[in-house]
Amino acid sequence: MAATDREMNPESEKLQFRLDVPFPSPRDASIALGSLSPDREPRKGGINKQLMVTDRTLTVRWSADEARILRVSVNSFLDNLSLVLETMQMFAPPASQ
Amino acid sequence: MTIVIGFEGSANKIGIGIIRDGEVLSNPRRTYITPPGQGFLPSDTARHHRAVILTVLKEALEQAGLKPADIDCVAFTKGPGMGSPLVTVALVARTVAQLWGKPLLGVNHCIGHIEMGRLITQADNPTVLYVSGGNTQVIAYSERRYRIFGETIDIAVGNCLDRFARVIKISNDPSPGYNIEQMAKKGSQYVELPYTVKGMDVSFSGITSYIEEAAHKMISSGQCSAEDLCFSLQETVFSMLVEITERAMAHCGSGEVLIVGGVGCNLRLQEMMGVMCKERNAKLFATDERFCIDNGAMIAQAGWEMFRSGQVTELEDSWITQRYRTDEVEVTWRD
Repeated sequence: MAATDREMNPESEKLQFRLDVPFPSPRDASIALGSLSPDREPRKGGINKQLMVTDRTLTVRWSADEARILRVSVNSFLDNLSLVLETMQMFAPPASQ
Repeated sequence: MTIVIGFEGSANKIGIGIIRDGEVLSNPRRTYITPPGQGFLPSDTARHHRAVILTVLKEALEQAGLKPADIDCVAFTKGPGMGSPLVTVALVARTVAQLWGKPLLGVNHCIGHIEMGRLITQADNPTVLYVSGGNTQVIAYSERRYRIFGETIDIAVGNCLDRFARVIKISNDPSPGYNIEQMAKKGSQYVELPYTVKGMDVSFSGITSYIEEAAHKMISSGQCSAEDLCFSLQETVFSMLVEITERAMAHCGSGEVLIVGGVGCNLRLQEMMGVMCKERNAKLFATDERFCIDNGAMIAQAGWEMFRSGQVTELEDSWITQRYRTDEVEVTWRD
């Protein structure tokens, strides 16, 4: 039954969003993870975000109750990501480039 | 020799400063200025900070004549403040700390003000009046905490001044408080306003509502001028602040007052506090706009003290927090 289904697997009722960000090296990907992970989502419920790094790719997965909430979170993540990327381009020590 | 770089951006100023053992090597800053009648909103402020932070960082390093390798620790404001601007600044601090392989340190903004004030004025153990757009506290040090003796029970004194400036469309450039201070010098008539001291605490929301409601009527009817209102508002709220500061001094038997925070560079507030201090044979310490108003060096200075006493913040603990009380921090660098 659908109701039982939902109780057993609430994730399937949510909006899912996935973003893969390729980096030049695994170290760069892990620095981005370190910078972007610590802050929690500002709102209490309705959204869940997970970040992970595999090799040189940063992967972010969202699951959200509503498109509106998802949009706000993804937008602000992308703003934050571009700032981190710009910082890395401008301030990486020459040795690592 | 310990060199600390400090990142600050909890409100509408973004500043990055570098401190080497008590010496300010650089301290560039930008202010997000909104049109008259408008306050600054978190997302717009964050956008401003994002647009300029890397330029400010470059300036800080160039003016100090330092390379990233010379820096020992990266300090940033962990809170309190507005969420998105705090996140913006923390992101850059975390990224450069990792790129340069330096330890990270999350600093309480209020502690930054106190430590910068102590460094610049050399005040030893002052009763601190911390007054800004977001905070109003009377603080004294005791047993490893900066303890809050009195504070606002609603909005900050600077918020009261900012909101009054918006009502009568005073310019926000360079800051609403500065322009109120200049206009107040031309005021002559004192208009009575609600005076709200409750024990050790103060309240500014009633005064704000009252003046927001009455300002236009009083000015348009010719009862008083905008300058008279600026003068009256300053006299009223500053008297309240002097009263609770004096009471805290009496409690602590303290002979020093240090004024910090953006409102602290108001010369009329310093003058009124000076009168009280003279009567009590106490010493008044204050700084000018470079160090009173939010800046990066104050975060670097508090970071310097914390780092030297052995503190660091791990990346996973480096989340920002909009609420972070002054007395939550254990002061590991004082006796």
